[in-house]
Amino acid sequence: MIELNSVFGAFALLSSDINAWLYLLPGLAIGLIFGAMPGISITMAMAFALPATLYMEFLPAIVFLTAIYTGAGFGGSVPAVLMGIPGTSSAVATTFDGYPMARKGLHNEALGIALASSVVGCLASYVILFILIVPISGVVLKLGPLEMFAVAVWGMLLLGSLAGTHMSRGLLAGTFGVLLGTVGMNTAGFVRGTIGIPWLLDGVPQIPAMMGLLAASQLIGLINTTYLIDDEGSRKISFAKILGGVRQTFSHPTIIFRGSLIGVIIGAIPGVGSSISNLLSYSETKRNAADGDTFGQGNPKGVIAAEAANSSSEGGAMATMLALGIPGGGATAILLAAFAMHNIVGGPSFIAHNKDIVYAVIFSNFAQAILLFVVGLGFVYVAGYVVRVPLRFLIPSVLVVSTYGAYAIEGSSAGPITLWVFSVLGWAMVRYGYPVAAAVVGLLLGSLLEGNLLRTNQISGGDFIGYGLDRPWALVIFALMLGSILLQLISKRRRAKEEALSAVQSS
Amino acid sequence: MKTQLSRRNILKIAGGGAAIAALGMPSILRAQGAYPDRPINIVVPFDTGGYNDRLARAFAPFLQEKLGQPLTIVNRGGAGALLGHTFFLQQPDDGYTILCTSAAPYLPLNILTQDASFKLEDFYMVNLPSQDYTLMATNAGSDVKSVDDAIARLKADPGSLSVGLQPASADLVNFNILCAANQIDANAVRVVTYDGGGPARNAVAGGVVDVGFVGGEGFLPLKEQVRPLMTFDTRKRDNWDGAIVTDVLGSDADFVVGSQRGWGLHGSMQTSNPEIFKTLVNAIAAASQNPAAIEALKNQQLATDWYGPEESNKMLARTAKVMEQYIDLLKGN
Repeated sequence: MIELNSVFGAFALLSSDINAWLYLLPGLAIGLIFGAMPGISITMAMAFALPATLYMEFLPAIVFLTAIYTGAGFGGSVPAVLMGIPGTSSAVATTFDGYPMARKGLHNEALGIALASSVVGCLASYVILFILIVPISGVVLKLGPLEMFAVAVWGMLLLGSLAGTHMSRGLLAGTFGVLLGTVGMNTAGFVRGTIGIPWLLDGVPQIPAMMGLLAASQLIGLINTTYLIDDEGSRKISFAKILGGVRQTFSHPTIIFRGSLIGVIIGAIPGVGSSISNLLSYSETKRNAADGDTFGQGNPKGVIAAEAANSSSEGGAMATMLALGIPGGGATAILLAAFAMHNIVGGPSFIAHNKDIVYAVIFSNFAQAILLFVVGLGFVYVAGYVVRVPLRFLIPSVLVVSTYGAYAIEGSSAGPITLWVFSVLGWAMVRYGYPVAAAVVGLLLGSLLEGNLLRTNQISGGDFIGYGLDRPWALVIFALMLGSILLQLISKRRRAKEEALSAVQSS
Repeated sequence: MKTQLSRRNILKIAGGGAAIAALGMPSILRAQGAYPDRPINIVVPFDTGGYNDRLARAFAPFLQEKLGQPLTIVNRGGAGALLGHTFFLQQPDDGYTILCTSAAPYLPLNILTQDASFKLEDFYMVNLPSQDYTLMATNAGSDVKSVDDAIARLKADPGSLSVGLQPASADLVNFNILCAANQIDANAVRVVTYDGGGPARNAVAGGVVDVGFVGGEGFLPLKEQVRPLMTFDTRKRDNWDGAIVTDVLGSDADFVVGSQRGWGLHGSMQTSNPEIFKTLVNAIAAASQNPAAIEALKNQQLATDWYGPEESNKMLARTAKVMEQYIDLLKGN
């Protein structure tokens, strides 16, 4: 699986060109800053830098772009932790526990955990990629609509965890989100729910809607508070505490490993990617954790799960791109365009003939992950000062920046309008006790769920079961899902029994 | 230290400074009034990374050289290019906004199926270098060996093969033409619809669907994973094996060409700003025929052929006419 000759070739390539290393640092910094701005996506940061790479050699160009990719992947988590606004759609699950941690005065630890899990997740994903690039690529293309539908259903299981006190309200909010996710033209060409507005033909703009729902519900609710953290003594920015968070991360190797595995696999499927993987990893971790009930109230395990999965999706997406020449999402599409600018076409023949380049890209990503740790520590330290800004300055500034971001991502006033409509909606949902996060999950999964169910119907001619039995991977996914639910039930029962037993013994 | 500057003195200094600056930069003054004297926008009605975006970005440096002003690419994706096309027409026809789009099938589709507020004549195509075509293909390891094999199976049982394609596309029309010519009930075939050419091609390459009808140029990077069955054109394209449509449906075969992509201007410019119109057409022509541009675009698998305005507009009108015949199919479902 690993060819030593090519590995040595990769080292030779990397050591011959000092330029490849010079671009690492600026790339990471650009990525971090862009990723941390709400609304600026990883794709936009990379598209912005693409023209500059035209004048570079091939390897430095790719290193520069992948460094932005890595940086932006983590940058999105910083506002997610500090303000409950995911900078990118892949940081949604980070808000669930990261933001409550920050509100409790654990912002240093939360940022340290997010950074460490991202670095480890990224490293792990490239290690997995290094070993499995060829087998992974063989499977990815064979995944059909039923498999994708299974993945989407798995994501929907998260609704159960997000419901809060009233399960019925959680399901209602989730259903509402799914309905919103199906607005626009569906995969068969039917147009639904656009109320005659052409901007809605492609559906509700996801990122502005998500920012509106999450940001407003958090920020508008804070209006009578003076600071993000009530206790003045906790508002300190402490390097030691950030490092404490880093240490804490390493005491949960299973969560990191599970997150990375989910991230790589989901990231490798074209069109799914990191915005789904962080949700899946979060819900699996919550279900398997002994203290699952405290998720959503600032449990560090939730942050680890989300961050390990979203940063490891990068490795998965790179596997599909390198091995098949297929972009799984916007970021890898930009990378492929950069390949094309240097007259290199990705795909099976590229991997067969240029193993040394592939390994060089993988090795430089190891270096990126380690460097991200250093740069990220500094970035997180500075960003942490947000908690000392009085909210009467912070809330309006964040809303203004979000509005700009929403405009930037849509390129028209459709972005800001969506943001504000959903802000009001989010505020109203919180006011009346409906979980906003469930609606966000529904919105993110709605079109994936519907499109693939429809395609399964088309491809099977209506015979779901007969078709399903011919799709081993779909059966594996459904079996894993059921197994995970059963395990949870069993362990819950056992725990309840033990508790009852200890209660009897103590009395 | 105390300096006292009256408002009058400040104005004098400022005025003097402006005068000196004006003398120092005569080129700016001279350029006033001569087109183009400021940057020009290229509207791409699709998101970053697609064919038109890549074409615009690759071609821009060469067009920029001819026009002497920087070009900015504005991506206005959404609603099957309807939003971007409408946005383009809303800009003044002063030559500071030009268009890079898949004129076919999107302009006719916007007009025929989306109640667009514009007509085909509102656009003037300077050149449509990219002429895509539908490729009927299957997975490289598939047991469907040829187009005749596929037709025979569908004839025997229309439900025997699943077919991947995009809704409301030239590919869908071509699929229906093939079915009609072979007495296959197209409605009984298991048609699977995908949201874009990319996902449809991936489904073909992975064997998720048995046969796919998708734009052929995009299949090139997947060459090793697919088996071409038939090209919907009167000649072989991109060295694909398999049949061409005239082999199967006869020399007078009816079919729709695929995407026709390239450069457009406001149609109204011909009368409102004829001089600027001529400058732009000449600049696009010169840049398209620049050997350095041809070399650069070829390396990125982008088309550079020069057909010229007359031929380009004619090709587009012809496609729009054929598409009108199949309006019910395109409106879909």
